[in-house]
Amino acid sequence: MKSKIILLVEDNPDDRELTLNAFQQSGIANDVILARDGAEALDYLFAEGRHAGRDLAVMPAVTLLDLKLPKVDGLEVLRRVRADARTCLLPVVILTSSKEEQDMIQSYSRGANSYIRKPVDFEKFNVAIRQLGLYWLVINEPPPSPPAA
Amino acid sequence: MKPSVLIVDDSLTVRMDLKEAFEAAGFETHTSATVAAARRAGQEKNFDLVILDVLLPDGDGLGLLQELKAAPPTAHVPVLLLSSEHEVRDRVRGLKTGADDYVGKPYDTAQIVARAREFVHRGRPRERPLIVVIDDSPTFAAELRAALETAGYDAAVGATGEEGLRLAADLRPAALLVDQMLPGLDGVEVIRRVRADAALRRTPCVLLTASEARVDELRALEAGADMFAQKNAGAAVALAKLTALLRTAREGTGATAPASLLAPKRILAVDDSATFLGELCDQLRGEGYDVVAARSGAEAIELLGSQPVDGILLDLLMPEMSVQEACRRIKAEPAWRDIPLIILTALDESAAMIEGINAGADDYIAKSADFEILKARLRAQLRRRQFEDENREIREQLHYREMEAVEMQALRELSETRAALIADLEEKNAALARTNEELHRAKTAADTANQELESFSYSVSHDLRAPLRAIDGFSQMLLKQCGAQLDDKSRHYFDRVREGTQRMGQLIDDMLALARVTRTELRFERIDLTALARAIVAELRAGAPEREAEIAIADGLTAHGDRGLLRILLENLLGNAWKFTVKAAAARIEFARHAAALDGGVAFVVRDNGAGFDMQYAGKLFGVFQRLHAAEEFPGTGIGLATVARVVRRHRGRVWAESAPDRGAAFYFTLATPTFPP
Repeated sequence: MKSKIILLVEDNPDDRELTLNAFQQSGIANDVILARDGAEALDYLFAEGRHAGRDLAVMPAVTLLDLKLPKVDGLEVLRRVRADARTCLLPVVILTSSKEEQDMIQSYSRGANSYIRKPVDFEKFNVAIRQLGLYWLVINEPPPSPPAA
Repeated sequence: MKPSVLIVDDSLTVRMDLKEAFEAAGFETHTSATVAAARRAGQEKNFDLVILDVLLPDGDGLGLLQELKAAPPTAHVPVLLLSSEHEVRDRVRGLKTGADDYVGKPYDTAQIVARAREFVHRGRPRERPLIVVIDDSPTFAAELRAALETAGYDAAVGATGEEGLRLAADLRPAALLVDQMLPGLDGVEVIRRVRADAALRRTPCVLLTASEARVDELRALEAGADMFAQKNAGAAVALAKLTALLRTAREGTGATAPASLLAPKRILAVDDSATFLGELCDQLRGEGYDVVAARSGAEAIELLGSQPVDGILLDLLMPEMSVQEACRRIKAEPAWRDIPLIILTALDESAAMIEGINAGADDYIAKSADFEILKARLRAQLRRRQFEDENREIREQLHYREMEAVEMQALRELSETRAALIADLEEKNAALARTNEELHRAKTAADTANQELESFSYSVSHDLRAPLRAIDGFSQMLLKQCGAQLDDKSRHYFDRVREGTQRMGQLIDDMLALARVTRTELRFERIDLTALARAIVAELRAGAPEREAEIAIADGLTAHGDRGLLRILLENLLGNAWKFTVKAAAARIEFARHAAALDGGVAFVVRDNGAGFDMQYAGKLFGVFQRLHAAEEFPGTGIGLATVARVVRRHRGRVWAESAPDRGAAFYFTLATPTFPP
C-alpha cells in the first residue's frame, strides 16, 4: 500500500517545524508535502506551476490547511478544491489559530471536513496533531480516486 | 362745475366790470340791477355767491340780504355787501344783518374776486369730498378717477403740475393725489409749492410713484407729502392710503384754516382827524389793503366786534377814549389780542407813546414820517403775525409728522424683528442640518472604526498567538533536547517561560472576548437563563470532575437579551464562583432572581461562599486588568469582570457586588426588560 500523503499548507515556518516535529513525535512517518502559500497548494493539487506534470492520481489523504495564507488564502483554496471534480472529495482539515466564529462558519459552509484550533500549549498541540494524524490517516477511509479525466 | 355768482348793482359799469372779472376767474355770472330782478334770479337758480349793493333803486339791499339769510335754501349762500358808504356804522349794520363780508367802494376787483373765491369754497358744502388727481398718464388717471368715484369721492384731474396747482387753488380739494413723474414741474415740486401756499398748505398730499427706492420716499416726505404710494400696487392701495390720510386729517388738530396769501389784508385805521384818516386809507388801499375806518376808539371796538381785521392803526390822541384804554381793551380780548396794533404818534408825545406800548401796542409810527415808512412797518408787523401763525402751523405739522414717524418706526422695527426672527430660524435650521450632517459623518466614522477594529481583532487572533506557540513549542523541544543536562533551576526557568506564554495566550483570548462584546450586533430574544447556567456548570464540572460543590440554579430564570453575550456573562460569573470556591470546604454556588428589581428591570444574583474580596477595593472590581487577588492564589487575567460589566451595559442594566474576605461574594446584575428599547 502506498504511503498516504499529507499536504500541509502553512506559511509560518515555526508552525511548520512544530507540526512536523509533532508528526515525528507521534510516530507519523508519512510523506508530508509542504506548501508555503495558497498558490503553491493549488499548484500541487492541480499539477500546475512548480508541480506541473505531477501524477494527478496521487492525492493527499488529508490536507491540513491554514486560513491566513499569502497570495491565495485558505478559504479560496478550499473553494477551488471543492469546485473541481478532481479534488472535490478530498478531506480538508482547517488548522488555524483563529477561533473567530466567522471563520468557522465560512470554512464549514465551503465544505471543510474539520476545524482545528491550534493550541498555544506545546503539549496540547502535540496531542492534537497525534490525534489528527491517527484519525485521518488510520481510522478514516479516504475517498476513492476519481476516474481519470 | 363752475361756481355761480349773482351780481346785484344798479350801476351798469360796476355790473360789467365785475361780470368780466368773475367770468375770467371761471365763474358763471348773472347780473341784476334791482332787488326784484335779483329775487327772480334767486328763485330760478341756486347761486354759490351773491355780490350785493346796499343802495338799490327799488329797495334796500340789506332787506334782500335779510330775506336771503332767512330762507333755508339760501341761508348758507355767502353774501358780499358792496357799498359806497364807508361809514363804520353802515358797515357794522350790514355785517350784523348777516353779510359775510363788506367791501367798500371804490373796490379792488381782484380783491373781490379773490374774496369771493374764498367764500365759495369755504361755503359750498360738498356732498362728496373732492380729490384732485395730478397725473400725466390718461389711463392711470382714469383708473384713479373710477376708483375714487366708486369710493364716494369726486375727482378732478390735471395733466401737468401747473394745471394741478391751479385746480387745487380754485377747487380747494380735500386731498391731492400727485404723480411723481410729470412733465414740467415734477410731483415733489408740486407738493413743495402746495406746502408753501398758506391756503393749500394743509391739504393732505399723497405722492404716487413707480419707484421703490427708499430715498425717493424720504425725498417725498421731506418735500411735504403726507404719504407715499406705489403706482404698481394699484389704484386700490392709493385709495386706501388716501382714505386713511383724510380720516386723520379730519380728526386733526382742529385749528382754523388760515387766510390765503391771496386774500387781501384788512386794516382798521382809527384816527379822529378825517383828513389824515382819508389820506391814510387811500394810501393803504393803494397798497392793496382793505381798509376800514373808524373815528374813535369806541367805534373801533364796535367794528372789531363784527368783523375780524388783520392789523390796527391807532391814533394816539383821540377823544373819549385814551389810547392806553383802547389798547388795553383791544388786547384784553382773546380774539383780538394777536392782531398787530400800531400806534400813530406825533413826535412830541413820546411819553404817551411809551405808555401805549406798555399797554400792549406792538409798535409805533411817527405820523409826520413818510407814509412809505408807515406802510413798511405795517407790512413788517403783518408779516410777523403771518410768521407766528405759520410757526404754529409748522409746529403742529411737525408734531403730526413725529407721531407718524414714530408709528412708522415702530412698524419698521416690527418687520425688522420679524425678519430677524425668520433669519434666526433659518440659521437654526441650517445649523440643525449641519449637525445632522456631522452626526451622519460621525456615524460613518464610527462604522469605519468598527470595521477596522473587526479586521484588527481578526489579525490579532491569528498573528499574536502564532509566535506564542513557537515560544512554547521550541522551549519545550529545547527542554527535551538537553533536559538531562539541566539542573532544577534551569528547568524551573523553562517552566516560567511556559507559564508566560500560557498566560499571554489567555490574555489574548480574554481581550478578544471583551472586544467582541462591544462589537457584536445584539440580537435580542427571550433567553432561558436557567438552562444556560446549567450547561455552563456542566462544562465546569467536566473540567474538574474531582471537585465537589453544591450548585443551586433557580428554576424559570429568563431574560430578554443577546444569547451569545449572556453566555459570556454567566461563564464569567459562574466561572469566577467556581474558581474562588476551590479552597472552600463545602463550596456552595447559587444563581437566582434577586428580590429588589430596580428601575423596572429584572435583577439576578450569583452567590458563592468562596474567598470573597475586600469591599474597599470594590471600585476596581470591574476595571480592565484589575485583580484583587494574587496570581499565585487564584489565576486570572483581570478581564472577566470587565467583560461582565460591558455585557450588562449593553443590556442597559447595572452590575454591583457585595463581599467580605473569606465570606464569599454576591454579584448582582440587572438586564433590560422586553419593553425597554435595546
